[in-house]
Amino acid sequence: MLSVSVLTDRVPETIPALAGIGLRFPHHKAVIAQRPPVAWFEVHSENYLQGAAFRDLEIIRRDYPVSLHGVGLSLGSADGLEAAHLDRIVHLAERIEPGLVSEHLSWSISEGDYLGDLLPLPLTEEALDVVCSNVDRFQEAMRRRILVENPSSYLQYRHSTIPESEFLSAVTQRTGCGILCDLNNIVVCAANHSWDPHAYLDALPPADIKELHLAGHTVKALDGDAMLLIDDHGSKVDAAVWSLFRKAVQRFRPLPTLIEWDTNIPPLEVLIEQANHAAAILLEPRQASAHADAA
Amino acid sequence: MPTLRDIQRDIARSILSPDDGAALTHIAGDGFAAAQRFKIYRNNVAITLIAALRLAYPAVDKLVGSDFFDGVARAFIAQHPPHTAFLGDYGSEFADFLAAFPATAALAYLADVARLEWTANVVLNAPDAPAVRPDGLAGLAASEHGRVRFAPHPAVRLLVVGYPADAIWRAVLDGNEAALGAIKLAPELISLLVQRKADSVVMIRLERDEACWTRRLFSGVTLAEITPEQDSARFVVLLADHLAHGRFADWTTLPPGHAATSVRTSV
Repeated sequence: MLSVSVLTDRVPETIPALAGIGLRFPHHKAVIAQRPPVAWFEVHSENYLQGAAFRDLEIIRRDYPVSLHGVGLSLGSADGLEAAHLDRIVHLAERIEPGLVSEHLSWSISEGDYLGDLLPLPLTEEALDVVCSNVDRFQEAMRRRILVENPSSYLQYRHSTIPESEFLSAVTQRTGCGILCDLNNIVVCAANHSWDPHAYLDALPPADIKELHLAGHTVKALDGDAMLLIDDHGSKVDAAVWSLFRKAVQRFRPLPTLIEWDTNIPPLEVLIEQANHAAAILLEPRQASAHADAA
Repeated sequence: MPTLRDIQRDIARSILSPDDGAALTHIAGDGFAAAQRFKIYRNNVAITLIAALRLAYPAVDKLVGSDFFDGVARAFIAQHPPHTAFLGDYGSEFADFLAAFPATAALAYLADVARLEWTANVVLNAPDAPAVRPDGLAGLAASEHGRVRFAPHPAVRLLVVGYPADAIWRAVLDGNEAALGAIKLAPELISLLVQRKADSVVMIRLERDEACWTRRLFSGVTLAEITPEQDSARFVVLLADHLAHGRFADWTTLPPGHAATSVRTSV
């Protein structure tokens, strides 16, 4: 796969440790016409499997490294992966030559029905076995290391026994996959489940973190005086997330960092401004104490 | 302790039905009701799948209004959840569902508009393939013409509707109220050729015999078997039109004597 780039006039596939933007349909024309100064783009694989979207992505890939971020493989399904869908993702990766390939620590399929949302897993030894087996199959099919993202969630299961950061670390240890650390998701889960976001970050293995995600969330009031944070990717990155991002860069190292925006999508300039803000934090000098436990 | 498969089955079934009892037995109720937390997932699933249907059926959405569309879509999703993570393939049964659904069954044209929109999606998302060029058959001896058979281009489909669904579709998506008002909503069999051209969909009406000839051309029947004794000039014009517009992906000639083995298709 590495040598194909030489033949096809494309920029190399490697995703740099710089700020990228989640590519969405409303921005295709502007990106193709203006080639804005963006370090790399990430797409939801499921939206680029065919048609005009795929053809646009092929054009954009000539000028930018691209990361494929899946939302439909359902790594947590007890029934295993959907073979036809796995084939589609493998085929897309062959055509696009992505620098990174990622999926979520979640499930979306049961008994053949696809729910179109990322549902949280009960964090048990059984679920750990299932996820590891599905990640193994995904990596074998892709013939590469993939990244697994920590999910946002609004509920927990009665019989979960393993803290999520430990569960994710165990998946990494057993399968050799990397971690896509979504800082917004950590902030959202911490608020929704009374977790400590800093302890979560500290529990992840630094050397295995290969990408960071940033996004906005909203606050939803529920009956009574309770509230939940909703991971809707529909606003600017929140101050608490910027703060955790700064800590992550210090603790891990500068990493490929993505601005995600999926609802109420603003003009591309707004995303570039958010990416520039992330880029500035990536360039901040690292404090000596933070280097110690990074790989 | 329930297995992962049990939990996922209970959660999925509860999301797709109004009864969340099975799901709630698994969810921790810390702080406030598990039901409220679960409801977020039920809503998210509905929003995503309704959006996928709206994307596939924009004219149906405009015809019935978005609130009504949401309601029909919810009923459809409960009966026909997607069976693959590739939502570009989701909703093929929607036209038949609309035809049978009590609230829409009386709007007979609606199912035809949906059928037409689905066909438009199919051609829009069909794979690319080189088309047979109009001069592609040059050099073939006249004696061989009868043994030529074609394969249709993947981005072309034939469709028969019972109402002027093409006119409704165009007027609705153009927001042309005057054109929509002028359409006579009477049952009428219309044969349509639907084709992708430069990332958009082109629809043309065919006469019944033209549609019949085209259907047989697309099924790989040889020219000798299709060419009518009368009206052969019109057939030749139609064939030239198909070639000029790139509606075939391939052609072959059968060896002499094999012409009769082709499948005959009904009108």
